[in-house]
Amino acid sequence: MQLCVEPNQSQAKEIKGETMSGRVIVITSGKGGVGKTTTNANIGTALARAGKKVVMIDTDLGLRNLDLLLGLENRIVYTIVDVVEGRCKLKQALVKDKKNPNLCLLAAAQTRDKTAVTEEQLKDICEELKKDFDFILVDCPAGIEQGFQNAVAGASEAIVVTTPEMSAVRDADRIIGLLEAKEEIKSYKLLINRVRPNLIKSNDMMSVEDVVEILSADLIGIIPEDTGIITSTNKGEPIVNDEKSLAGQAYNNVARRIIGEDVPFLNLEEDTSVMAKVKKFFSGLIGKEK
Amino acid sequence: MKDIFTDFYNTILGFFRQTEKKEENAKDVACNRLRVVLMQDRTNLTPELLQRMRQELIDLLSKYVEMDKDALELNFDQEDGQMALMLSIPVIRAKEEAEIEAEEEKTEEKSQTESTEETEPAEKDDETEVEASDTEAEEECSSESDIEVDAESEALDDSEKTEENVK
Repeated sequence: MQLCVEPNQSQAKEIKGETMSGRVIVITSGKGGVGKTTTNANIGTALARAGKKVVMIDTDLGLRNLDLLLGLENRIVYTIVDVVEGRCKLKQALVKDKKNPNLCLLAAAQTRDKTAVTEEQLKDICEELKKDFDFILVDCPAGIEQGFQNAVAGASEAIVVTTPEMSAVRDADRIIGLLEAKEEIKSYKLLINRVRPNLIKSNDMMSVEDVVEILSADLIGIIPEDTGIITSTNKGEPIVNDEKSLAGQAYNNVARRIIGEDVPFLNLEEDTSVMAKVKKFFSGLIGKEK
Repeated sequence: MKDIFTDFYNTILGFFRQTEKKEENAKDVACNRLRVVLMQDRTNLTPELLQRMRQELIDLLSKYVEMDKDALELNFDQEDGQMALMLSIPVIRAKEEAEIEAEEEKTEEKSQTESTEETEPAEKDDETEVEASDTEAEEECSSESDIEVDAESEALDDSEKTEENVK
């Protein structure tokens, strides 16, 4: 079965006898509200902007939000539950992004609970999507119950999202323990969200290094706290589309690292306070005079 | 000109830093609390079990060395992603062979006579405490020695590296 969105390409592929084998990455955190869905929307969009074919699966049945972050809430006709219950074909349920034809969403059902889809069914869906997409990003619900087990079932890689807060780090540690016990998960990486350089500088917040040391996991991204996230969510447009935004840049860098590029981490140590800006402005002026 | 601004900036910053420093560093508190709680999460060892392990280790080791039991430390630590159980024992002196043998005989007699009472763990704890005070009374304080021993403890999982740091 071919579910490629663009028929011409799929024909070309058939002639060459090639089949894609996409990477299935689950984005998880344990704790709620640390930015899983935001991360998913942004990494997915960034990968699509880099020319990759991306599908995002929202597995948070009953509490779907990925559609909102992507601004696709009004386009959803079929959900993942319709697919597993045979009311539609998989490709019919894929919602194409407004701007980027490389990007698709398989939405969660809002009216059903976590038991509506099983681990096996999710595995099958992932296997099917692997043939036509470079990346399958699975948005995992909060918690470590069945919803988590389902989301992880089809994945071979994981991104663990956390923030430099005690409860988020503790839950991330628990999730890492569970991921390590899963044979299918070949690698997992840590993404530290909502980093506030000013608080870290004043020793009020754990630093990225602290979190990495405590969890002893490889880092894939550091995302600064950015008020732009709120406006971008409100508009239904991922922040990676805004090239000026620091969080957007950080997410873009994560996407590039996923593809395999060696991208240095953003320097968040740079003081962005008003005082520092004033100082920079004046020292700039003085520099010019000399 | 540039320096004046830098100085001004640093003075103001310094002023705010000073007022902040009075309280304990929130970041370090968070890190330390997290380390402790994660050790418990990861090992599933309850404080009671840890206490029991500590007591049993004391019992075992006091057969061979005389130590300062109150200063004994048993903690989890992390090294290169590997969990380690760190045991720090302040040793007063190592026992002599004859002493050890004598104690062995004594415990054998004890276990024969008291074996029926040892079934409950609570009672066992009581018993070991009595034993501990016995050895303390015997104390013939000689010069403190520094011995470092690395040993795998049989009482633990193989996955957990045990380092016995005997001072």
